[in-house]
Amino acid sequence: MPRITYIEPSGNQTEIDLPEGWSLMQGATSNGVEGIEAECGGSCACATCHCYVESHADRLPAPSETELSMLDHVAAERRPNSRLSCQLKASADLDGMVVRLPICQS
Amino acid sequence: MAFNFDPYSPAVDADPFPFYKTLRDQHPCFWSDEAGMWILSRYADIVTALNDWQTYSSASGNLMTELPNRAGSTLGTTDPPRHDRLRGLVQHAFLKRNLEALAEPMRAIARDAAEALRDSKQFDFIEDFSSKFTVRVLFAALGLPLGDERTVRDKAVLMVQSDPHTRAKGPEHIAAYNWMRDYAAGVIAERRKNPQNDLISHFSSAEIDGDKLDEMEVLLTTTTLIMAGIESLGGFMSMFAFNMADYHEARRRVVADGNLLADAIEESLRFNTSAQRFRRRLQKDVALHGQTMRAGDFVCLAYGSGNRDERQFPNPDIYDLNRKPKGHLGFGGGVHACLGNAIARMALKIAFEEFLKVIPEFRRVQEQLPWMPSSTFRSPLRLELAVN
Repeated sequence: MPRITYIEPSGNQTEIDLPEGWSLMQGATSNGVEGIEAECGGSCACATCHCYVESHADRLPAPSETELSMLDHVAAERRPNSRLSCQLKASADLDGMVVRLPICQS
Repeated sequence: MAFNFDPYSPAVDADPFPFYKTLRDQHPCFWSDEAGMWILSRYADIVTALNDWQTYSSASGNLMTELPNRAGSTLGTTDPPRHDRLRGLVQHAFLKRNLEALAEPMRAIARDAAEALRDSKQFDFIEDFSSKFTVRVLFAALGLPLGDERTVRDKAVLMVQSDPHTRAKGPEHIAAYNWMRDYAAGVIAERRKNPQNDLISHFSSAEIDGDKLDEMEVLLTTTTLIMAGIESLGGFMSMFAFNMADYHEARRRVVADGNLLADAIEESLRFNTSAQRFRRRLQKDVALHGQTMRAGDFVCLAYGSGNRDERQFPNPDIYDLNRKPKGHLGFGGGVHACLGNAIARMALKIAFEEFLKVIPEFRRVQEQLPWMPSSTFRSPLRLELAVN
């Protein structure tokens, strides 16, 4: 299972082994990681699962138009490495990836 | 006696949770003869399925007992990329930031409905509060013409039910669905003639990449929105009232501190969501827990069971206001997670802020509730409450 490191807003780091195919959002919410709200449940409709991709960016598919338009509405600062974690699916390629969670989601 | 799981049985309507526990512990990948499909009951397996729409397809229908000729023409019954484009046309109206304008009308409706109960000693929460509230809110949100509210509500509630004996939709359920389709067709025709700045006007004239939506998509998506707005919202409101009636301590904490209402809503979505079971169809063989499910087989995702899975939620059968159950399956999840989640949360919050102001102390009257016969949803048909 690919291992993902989440850096919570407090600076606390949590490593989680995600089943392949699970979204990074799902990995966070189901393992008690602080800093993700994910109100809409993973349908790319709320911008409350915002994350900053700190590594492996070149192995990610480009964001869809829907994701880009939702990223316009993130609560914390939007940066070039901003993504919605519900749109990032765990795969062997992403083993060792690090994502940082923003200070607020709404 | 061999274990069976029959989602058409009145015993499952009334209390599915002991069945779910046996499923999770002993038969995590179970073939139900009665349902004619596999049942997935563990949280992790349901999440995996929800994240993998390529394998677990919705294109053959998502209701456990599907309505005739509906699959393939609604948001819940199409797969990406068609689904994403269809959802893109409707979604903007349901985003949290676009719902603000509804807050005040919603509060006025809630206040009226609550005030009407002020001197009651006993009432049916569904007939006397939630039905009035949901129908008026939906009519305001979609800009539907007034006059048919009562009939629209009755048909919406009937069309989601199924017959426990034949294990199918009965003639009365199909007739209600046909009525709703005709009603939606009338509204669509009216809006095309006199377009207004509302969801149905926009949707009924929308195109996807220059490819006009086909009539069936416009019609059945509108029909589903009306059904969900009334039946799903009303069903969950009654489950929330049921929890508030039974868990006095939780209710008193919510009344004392309004900030806890949102936590109570989330815990209720986990504890006993009205959206208990939806289905998918496999696009390839899947081996799971020693079984092989075959391409073409239907699979039930038992959200209500995943939400009670002790592998995910400690002490799952305790209603715990402090739980903050992130990642619950009360609205499903993945690309098909409930489009109405933001409007539902907002409606629940406003409705119960006003309701609890007028009636802070109440209890359940009926020991046994009459549960709706439905293989997909779970909510009572009547919920008598007595004011303390």
